[in-house]
Amino acid sequence: MSDGPLIVQSDKTLLLEVDHPRADECRKAIAPFAELERAPEHVHTYRVTPLALWNARAAGHDAEQVVDALIGFSRYPVPHALLVDVAETMARYGRLRLEKHPIHGLVLTSTDRAVLEEVLRSKKIQPLVGDRFGVDVVAVHPSERGNIKQTLLKLGWPAEDLAGYVDGEHHPIDLREDGWTLRPYQKEAADAFWHGGSGVVVLPCGAGKTIVGAAAMAHARATTLILVTNTVSAHQWKQELLRRTSLTEDEIGEYTGTKKEIRPVTIATYQVMTTRRQGTYRHLELFDARDWGLVVYDEVHLLPAPIFRMTADLQARRRIGLTATLVREDGREGDVFSLIGPKRYDAPWKEMENQGYIAPAECVEVRVTLSDDERLAYAMAESDERYRFCSTTPAKTRVTEALVRRHADEQVLVIGQYIDQLDELGEHLNAPVIKGETKIKERERLFQAFRDKEIRVLVVSKVANFSIDLPEAAVAIQVSGTFGSRQEEAQRLGRVLRPKADGGGARFYSVVSRDTVDQEFAAHRQRFLAEQGYAYHIIDADDVGEEDPAR
Amino acid sequence: MEKMTGTDFSEWLRGRSDERLRALVAARPELVTPVPAHIDGLAARACSPSAIGRALDRLNRFSLSVLETLALRPGPADRETLLTLLGRAVPDGPGQEALGPALDAALDLLTTRALIYGPEDALLPAPGVADALEPPAALGPPVAEVFRHHPPERLDVLLRDIDPAYEGGGGHTDGGRPARERLAALLADPATVGRLVGEVSPQARAALDELVWGPASGRLPNARRDVDTAGAQSPIEQLLARGLLGATGEETVALPREVALVLRDGCVHRDLSPGPPALEGPVRDQDLADRTAAGQAFTFVRTVEELCEVWSVDPPGVLRAGGLAVRDLRRTAQLLDLPEWAAGLVVEVAHAAGLVAAGEGEWLPTGGYDAWRIKATEDRWAVLADAWAAMERAPGLIGERDDRDRPMNALHPDLRRPGAAQTRARALAVLESAPTGLAPTPESVLARLAWEQPRRRPALRDRLVRFALREAEHIGVTGLGVPSSHGRSVARGDGRAAGLLAPLLPRPVDHVLLQADLTAVAPGPLTTDLGRRLALTADVESKGGATVYRFSEQSIRRALDAGQSAGDLLAMLERHSATPVPQPLAYLVTDVARRHGRIRVGAASAYIRCDDPALLDEVLADKRAHLLRLRRLAPTVLVSKTSRAALVDSLRAMGYAPVAESLEGDVVVARADARRTEGQLAARVTATAAPDPETLTAAVRAMRAGDSRRRPVEAPEGQVPRSPATATISALQEAIRQGSRVWIGYLDSQGHATSRILEPARMEGGYLTAYDETRATVHRFALHRITGIADIGR
Repeated sequence: MSDGPLIVQSDKTLLLEVDHPRADECRKAIAPFAELERAPEHVHTYRVTPLALWNARAAGHDAEQVVDALIGFSRYPVPHALLVDVAETMARYGRLRLEKHPIHGLVLTSTDRAVLEEVLRSKKIQPLVGDRFGVDVVAVHPSERGNIKQTLLKLGWPAEDLAGYVDGEHHPIDLREDGWTLRPYQKEAADAFWHGGSGVVVLPCGAGKTIVGAAAMAHARATTLILVTNTVSAHQWKQELLRRTSLTEDEIGEYTGTKKEIRPVTIATYQVMTTRRQGTYRHLELFDARDWGLVVYDEVHLLPAPIFRMTADLQARRRIGLTATLVREDGREGDVFSLIGPKRYDAPWKEMENQGYIAPAECVEVRVTLSDDERLAYAMAESDERYRFCSTTPAKTRVTEALVRRHADEQVLVIGQYIDQLDELGEHLNAPVIKGETKIKERERLFQAFRDKEIRVLVVSKVANFSIDLPEAAVAIQVSGTFGSRQEEAQRLGRVLRPKADGGGARFYSVVSRDTVDQEFAAHRQRFLAEQGYAYHIIDADDVGEEDPAR
Repeated sequence: MEKMTGTDFSEWLRGRSDERLRALVAARPELVTPVPAHIDGLAARACSPSAIGRALDRLNRFSLSVLETLALRPGPADRETLLTLLGRAVPDGPGQEALGPALDAALDLLTTRALIYGPEDALLPAPGVADALEPPAALGPPVAEVFRHHPPERLDVLLRDIDPAYEGGGGHTDGGRPARERLAALLADPATVGRLVGEVSPQARAALDELVWGPASGRLPNARRDVDTAGAQSPIEQLLARGLLGATGEETVALPREVALVLRDGCVHRDLSPGPPALEGPVRDQDLADRTAAGQAFTFVRTVEELCEVWSVDPPGVLRAGGLAVRDLRRTAQLLDLPEWAAGLVVEVAHAAGLVAAGEGEWLPTGGYDAWRIKATEDRWAVLADAWAAMERAPGLIGERDDRDRPMNALHPDLRRPGAAQTRARALAVLESAPTGLAPTPESVLARLAWEQPRRRPALRDRLVRFALREAEHIGVTGLGVPSSHGRSVARGDGRAAGLLAPLLPRPVDHVLLQADLTAVAPGPLTTDLGRRLALTADVESKGGATVYRFSEQSIRRALDAGQSAGDLLAMLERHSATPVPQPLAYLVTDVARRHGRIRVGAASAYIRCDDPALLDEVLADKRAHLLRLRRLAPTVLVSKTSRAALVDSLRAMGYAPVAESLEGDVVVARADARRTEGQLAARVTATAAPDPETLTAAVRAMRAGDSRRRPVEAPEGQVPRSPATATISALQEAIRQGSRVWIGYLDSQGHATSRILEPARMEGGYLTAYDETRATVHRFALHRITGIADIGR
């Protein structure tokens, strides 16, 4: 019996014992074909899914390697059925290929005639293909390149896209590494993307995904369309590009609600792209406005459905997706795989933390007890009002004040959902509040002031959830959220994970009302954070004052 | 061929030593069932077509070839002749060297089995063997047979065409010999056949080549056509015109045996191999294969357990025709996360091992399952593997359609295939013989089986073998296609499988890893005690080599409900955790315990309230109040199990002046004539008369017995001693009183004497009502027909 660090479960999850001497070696061996699902302190859970196996195939791994890794590291014998299943699933990728034929243009070819026959019989495939040249070659309408990949994936025969890309309009872009250098993993990520053609780079929040985007642009040296989540994020991309690359102010355009600039590098928001007037998308022409050589998708896991449909038409252009997680709450991972591309790079969160690229974080849940009156009122509240009621209890304000006092010499971010509560907190803490109605200019001024440590405490609503770079926030206090979304949790935590100038750790407090739905949602958060491998503990509000702040 | 008489053979047999005869009947046991009266009888039976057929079926291809070669000889042959003849058919190489010893072994075997006989220098096939071999070595019928129904004119034309020396007519040659014999002699002559073949077109020669090594016949419309060498058009007609082919029917033609033997160039067989064909396939690491097979074995055992657990709470129905509905199988497959064929196998093996059975119209785990469940994993696997090996059923057919186009269901009686177990056993035996580390391909296993028993091709054999190989992998008999050491033991049936498997299985562990995401990972199967405790405290999230448990508010509450305290739980976790208990988990346990049991719920039927606690003290202190079972919930409230009305009456009797309160707290004004009871609703009396208790008891016993053991008890051999009627009756009364079993002799309604094991329940009106264990039913017996009784104890 081997004493390997890995245990293979029958539901195709892999349990990796982290403290095992061979754990590191094993992690490297299984990472290409298994998605890390949970990373708590002792045993990490990976899952082998068809998509993960196909990702591995796309990255050039074969079934033999996967089987060897499983057998070689497994503590117990691996059920043969699972190995067979792995081999069979992996063999499905690449049986069909999309290629550029010198005469017929875009074609679907196959090394396995039976598979081609099978998919061609499918009613969903028939409208996407044209004439058949010979037994193994079928023409595909160029406009259906994305659709056919999506459909083939659904049929379980993911096609390898070898049809190549248009170069796009040439535009010189270089990285300007003055006073900073590309971190090794950022370079690896950008290179892996470039060699793969198109695909997704998975990096934790705070690991500098924007820079990977910039490096990808420097590879492409072509006009680039960048799609981001919101306007503030668009500004930050612009700032970052100006700082990191040879691009100048007038080479970068913003295409947002207010500005409609189309320049060699254009940053557009998902929101403006999905705005519809009278049933039609009004800004679709942006995709054709220039001969884009590269399309960058920021926060791929949030990509809205209409953008997927638009992306289906962009298959001839290189695409890079940037994200912290491939997990989508709507389960459309398959669309990311077929339309943006397979995963090209993945770095474990914890390892980057160990190397000091992201700040270690400690999560603390602070439980406050509702007063007797509040409990009565809570019991009588309508069910849709309950969450608001318990998450905005005045007790939270008091605890937040105590926490802010405790971290008197650190940059503190207070995050909440309800504007009234935030206003009240702002008043009590004597801190500015950023909310939906705050002007973009004003927001940026406040963020800058916070970065410059002119303001020590900032109260923000959910507008700050995404892509706002606040590296100096060492402490985040969450007082209310959107019903325990995992997405939101990752983002909010990301706010404090940027490495600090002093190299110190970050703290993430959640203030939660005991025995209410707030606590139930907190349980989801706790699970998520613990699964991500963060130290998590729960304290009572009364202990806040007594806890040793130096710890 | 020399005409041989049965007498020669039986004389030869008589001359064999006792030891040789023992060897004969050991190899051919059907010869002595029933035992023949004498050696002649033995000889006669040994020569009967059916007995020879069975003996031939047991021969491998080489022995059969030896026998065929001998049978095709016109007379007796010695070893050297056979060696030369067979040697021509064996390709050069190692086969030639092995031929001599293999021939000796084959001759010894054939002699032992009395398939050949005679002195060593003049061996003959036993009488009847040649007929039973027909057609030997895929040869066509002899010339005499092929041309038997050709009219004499046709033979004349034929002979004239091919025999320059022919003179004669009317079916006879000039010498008066029948023309057929002349033809036979001609066609057996290599020179003539060579000449004739030389005359025909290349296409005709190609057609001939097709038929030489068999099958020796083909279809041809209008086969009996009149052709001669001059008028022959097609290649086939050229052959017909020369007697190289002959019409054996209206639409069939055959290559005469003599011609084929000439064309075979003196060989009877082609590419004859003295030894079995080697198994082929990839070679892997045997240790790895063993471990993989063990992993699969572990998974299989767990899957069966999971099936039984699911079926014990949610059993599927038994179809009216028997079996498991397609839909239920599909659901089971989904549940077990298996393809349907594998789910079918799991279900069938569980059934064959007696772990599930039909009961009350549903498929339910049996009592046997409970006994099986507590065994060690390796023993449990051995039970399943043995049951599979001995199963006369073909689970691989599930889902296919039968002759009447109905789908074949799992567990259905139609899945029985006589011979399935034997075919599986042979396939396993082939696997058992595979060299270490070899993963034999199904094709090479089939080739080996075809060599071992070329004559026996049970219907479906190839498919059954392929099923068996696929199933062997799924059960864990093979791993990566390589027969595992424990799998080989199953094939041998030596009972060592469990012992070989045990060291390969994960060892039980007595600790878990607790994590902050509120999971516990057991890195192997848990010891029974810890497993039970954890199952109570946490929910299973994932199974396999390890088990992942998740703690939640509900699961902790479940443990608290079961009487554990927070302290107990934490102590248990600390004791069995390899790492410190994470703070969030400890917090969860204490937090749930804090709220657990804060609200208490009980049952009471009435209360007493009084604003003056002193008065209630007084009531409680009163001795007469004990009967009311009062309990003080608060200083001013007592509750009681007694009804409100009874409480009011009792308190009045004790000298108090209570008033009754309604649900809303109003005083109920009661008048003497308006009182009602608040007691429970009286049980409704049913109109039908209930059967008496003895019958009920007997019926329940019948149901219980039917559940656990469907098989009727065998009555002991022999006759029941006769006993006088009075003794019978008193013995029955005693048995009824003690609830013991008796053995009776009974004349049934047709007057046949039978013997039964009964559990007497009741005796009245000249009849005995008893549970009849021999028939597994409750039955009424006429006392006057009971011929005797004997006690067989409880």
